Amino acid sequence: MEYDAIVVGSGHAGVESALALSRLNNKTLLLTLNLDSISFLACNPSIGGTAKGQLVSEIDALGGAMGVVADRNILQMRMLNRGKGVAVQSLRAQVDKHAYHLDMKDVLQNQKNLDIRQCEVVEILVQNGKVRGVKTAFGEEIYSRAVVLCTGVYLDSRIIIGNYTKDQGPNGFVNAHGLSKNLASLGFKILRFKTGTPARVDKNSIDYSSFEIQNGDDNIPYFSFIHIGNPKNKAVCYLGYTNEKTHEIIRANLDKAPMYSGLIKGVGPRYCPSIEDKVVRFSDKNRHQIFLEPEDKTGDEIYVQGFSTSMPVDVQEKMYKSVDGFQNVKILRNAYAIEYDCIASTDLLPTLESKLVENLFFAGQINGTSGYEEAGAQGIVAGINASNKLQNKEPFILKRDEAYIGVLIDDLVIKGTNEPYRMMTSRAEYRLLLRQDNADIRLTPLGRKVGLVDDARWALFNKKLRQIERAKRVLNQKVDGKKACEFLRGMGEGEGGVIRTYADLLKRSKVTIFDIKSHFNVLGRIPTQVLNYVETEIKYEGYIKRQETLVEQLKRDENTSLSPDFDYSLVKGLRLEARQKLNAIKPLTLGQASRISGVSPADIAVLSVYLKVKNRLEKTT
Amino acid sequence: MKNDTIIALSTPPGKAGVGVVRISGKDSLKVAEKMFKPLDKMSDPTPNLMRLGNIDLGGAKDLGFMVYFKAPKSYTGEDVVEFQCHGGVAVTKRIIEKALTLGARVAEPGEFSKRAFLNGKMSLDEAEGVIDTINAETESELKASGQLSRGALSQAVNKMQQVLLDLIADIEVSFDYPEEDIEYRTKKSIVGAISGLKRDIASLLSTSQIGKTIKNGVSVAIVGKTNVGKSSLLNALLGEEQAIVTDIAGTTRDIVTGSKEYRGFKFNFLDTAGLRKTKDIVENIGIDKAKNTIKNSDIVLLVFDASRALDKEDRDNLKLTENNDRIIVLNKSDLKKVCDIMPDITLSAKSGEHIDDLMEMIFDRALKGNFEYDKLVLTNMRHIEILSRAKEKADEILSTIDALPLDAVAVDVREMWEILGEITGETANEKIVDKIFSKFCLGK
Repeated sequence: MEYDAIVVGSGHAGVESALALSRLNNKTLLLTLNLDSISFLACNPSIGGTAKGQLVSEIDALGGAMGVVADRNILQMRMLNRGKGVAVQSLRAQVDKHAYHLDMKDVLQNQKNLDIRQCEVVEILVQNGKVRGVKTAFGEEIYSRAVVLCTGVYLDSRIIIGNYTKDQGPNGFVNAHGLSKNLASLGFKILRFKTGTPARVDKNSIDYSSFEIQNGDDNIPYFSFIHIGNPKNKAVCYLGYTNEKTHEIIRANLDKAPMYSGLIKGVGPRYCPSIEDKVVRFSDKNRHQIFLEPEDKTGDEIYVQGFSTSMPVDVQEKMYKSVDGFQNVKILRNAYAIEYDCIASTDLLPTLESKLVENLFFAGQINGTSGYEEAGAQGIVAGINASNKLQNKEPFILKRDEAYIGVLIDDLVIKGTNEPYRMMTSRAEYRLLLRQDNADIRLTPLGRKVGLVDDARWALFNKKLRQIERAKRVLNQKVDGKKACEFLRGMGEGEGGVIRTYADLLKRSKVTIFDIKSHFNVLGRIPTQVLNYVETEIKYEGYIKRQETLVEQLKRDENTSLSPDFDYSLVKGLRLEARQKLNAIKPLTLGQASRISGVSPADIAVLSVYLKVKNRLEKTT
Repeated sequence: MKNDTIIALSTPPGKAGVGVVRISGKDSLKVAEKMFKPLDKMSDPTPNLMRLGNIDLGGAKDLGFMVYFKAPKSYTGEDVVEFQCHGGVAVTKRIIEKALTLGARVAEPGEFSKRAFLNGKMSLDEAEGVIDTINAETESELKASGQLSRGALSQAVNKMQQVLLDLIADIEVSFDYPEEDIEYRTKKSIVGAISGLKRDIASLLSTSQIGKTIKNGVSVAIVGKTNVGKSSLLNALLGEEQAIVTDIAGTTRDIVTGSKEYRGFKFNFLDTAGLRKTKDIVENIGIDKAKNTIKNSDIVLLVFDASRALDKEDRDNLKLTENNDRIIVLNKSDLKKVCDIMPDITLSAKSGEHIDDLMEMIFDRALKGNFEYDKLVLTNMRHIEILSRAKEKADEILSTIDALPLDAVAVDVREMWEILGEITGETANEKIVDKIFSKFCLGK
């Protein structure tokens, strides 16, 4: 049996990749170490968060699965940064991790063109520099024209708890041996990263009176644009704190912490430190926050966010019990650190195809990222690009001003990362353009062009566009001057300035679109989410235009393409470091070249003149 | 910012017969046509043709030429328009200001050459040659003006950028980590930081007046009736034979300029024609010029002859210069004193007696005693323009922050950081901040 594509790994990158490939009519095989680990939320039972919420909605807008499945399994939904402006608002959901896994497994099993099988891949088959399939641990060879590697944290991984280490994947799942060595032999640079997870505790052993309840938000949207309405909150979370006693225990046992004893060699993320790391690095703080999050709807397990550690189990016990409300806490699963192999993401093209082996794609934590959302985002892009490559279609590359996904992949392949990469809103230059609420406006037309947006989603999208048009038409209607003044007085706004239309009223800071709706009895049948979107577009008009102008100004560089075969050592005037870096990365555009560290603006100037002269010479001959 | 329209003075600043103001970029012709009324009847501008007309100075006008160079056949490879106008700070400055209101912006140092380079009009070698030449001039100017130190300005700006960077980081952390147990910046504390920066920028900007003096020099007009010894005084001050000195009244018809460096500052002396009523047409032109010179000068030396009694002409001159910052000089102290005027200084140009005291007096007057040697002073028009924009941005933040959500405020704060970065070259998103080219001084 020969496949068009094989996807290795069934985590968040693997499933998006496999779904994209099979939905785009490629005969696809999804291989996994364990069918019970499909889309497993191995760390926190939540999806979304700052900048990550945007990623989920972007995956959804392109026709991916993460948002849809998350929405179906929400325990609690919140909109973060509600008071700080729409550009930085992000959805975060607590989800039922077991239901999420089963739901996604179901989606995969019902997908046409997709086969799923449990087995370990130990080798990538390569023929003439091009991928030819995979070899399994059983010794079989399975052929395909493309392979997408989404191996997550499983490559030669080991978990660490105090002095105890064991070669295994997260949550007791088996890990993958052999593939990492094979990748190294193919020329890939292998890095070793580290991450960790806190203990799961019994919800019946907690004294909740020491914790503060955290409720979900009402009247906020779903991740997916095909889900209309507001998610219902079915669970609460709790906020508590560590204390001096906890920190005392940690300090007294630091010699047993693998982070400090030298047992852990992998590079961990700065943004998600273990509790011992926090206590050492921020010694002036006498408490740290911990959040209690339910792992699922009916079970007893509670995830203790903010309390990850790799201390020995007896120290873990003492640490946890020192927290107010945890006096009698029962640890069900211990906290652990996990080390794993990943590749240097600069070995990839912006399509996530490797530069070393043709038709071999990489997505997810194997590229050095962290997070379900980052993985899913790369998965769908790798899947689309593998498909496009097989079907002789144009590469699918999102720009930094189009999507957080574009920022993510551009950062990975151009700058690389030396710690697990987490998406943040501050990584995006054009944050006001990349909002949670406009992901569909930005990306659904692109997803339609690719072929992942089905007719039902497309119809909904076009209906929304019409509603937006209608709302804008209404708001651009003239408003009676006297009534407008009366209205503004009522809102506590000044009456000065030019007021011609409803939109002019809406630009006032104290006026919301709902004030206008109820006071003037307009915009009656337009859904809330559309009104929110239109309000943002009008209120932020000036800022949005400014960012669009910036994008426009940089377009020349972004649209100047560079050949991946180009030899930069031929360009006189480029500094040696720049030549080496450019030859290593092989950027596809001048814009990408300019973001490579070690390539100075002077080098870019030299390069652009070189290209111009070269073009001119080519034209005349 | 690559295709936008930039403008700068291409000839050296200061008084000169002709000044050339260059505009380059995609809207350069549009901008130029809005401020130029040709005297000919042609409807479309012909490239490379010099056309006579009136240049709009925003209220006033100057008769001059406009030349249009169509892309790519221009210095920069873009559409370029050059105005040739009357030289002098006032005219060229007002042309530039007018163009700014029409959408142009002040060119970065070396930006014209940078564009020429980027558009393949110039090789890197050639471009570097241009830089060397221009830098040579800059260095000497730095030396002459004594105090301007780019390093000091960068340091001051770096410090401000550091404050902003802290602020940005604080705002960003509240976006990316909204649930941390840390004290987030309040709008009030943002206002405090921005207000502080605004004060710093304003105090830097306030030095630009003295900066202009350093850059362009102090103009000192020597005024007096014929044969009071103006030319001798000029020569004594300059220590060289600059003006032709004779005993025949009315010899000095042209304004003779001589420059002298004194305590690190440049002083430009302007010898005016004797302000004598005459029927000689050439001499009368000289008198008109002299009146103009007096009007535009920083300091007037009004010279009297100690050996002659005050007459009507002397009194006319007193009247003519009454609004000027003037020093009354009683010359010919070696002769018997007949003139009954109360001088600020009595000296002899011939013997050189008290000439040094006069120079010291001019220096004090010009610098008004408020100049500190080690203080940072702005002399570069580009720096002034950037800091003015930064200050405007600060004003904008302060006036809108209450009504705006924090994500919008963050955009403004970041923009302010980037504006300041145009001085140091440290901007976040600026793509071609080329170190080579940033060394250029303004204009070419």
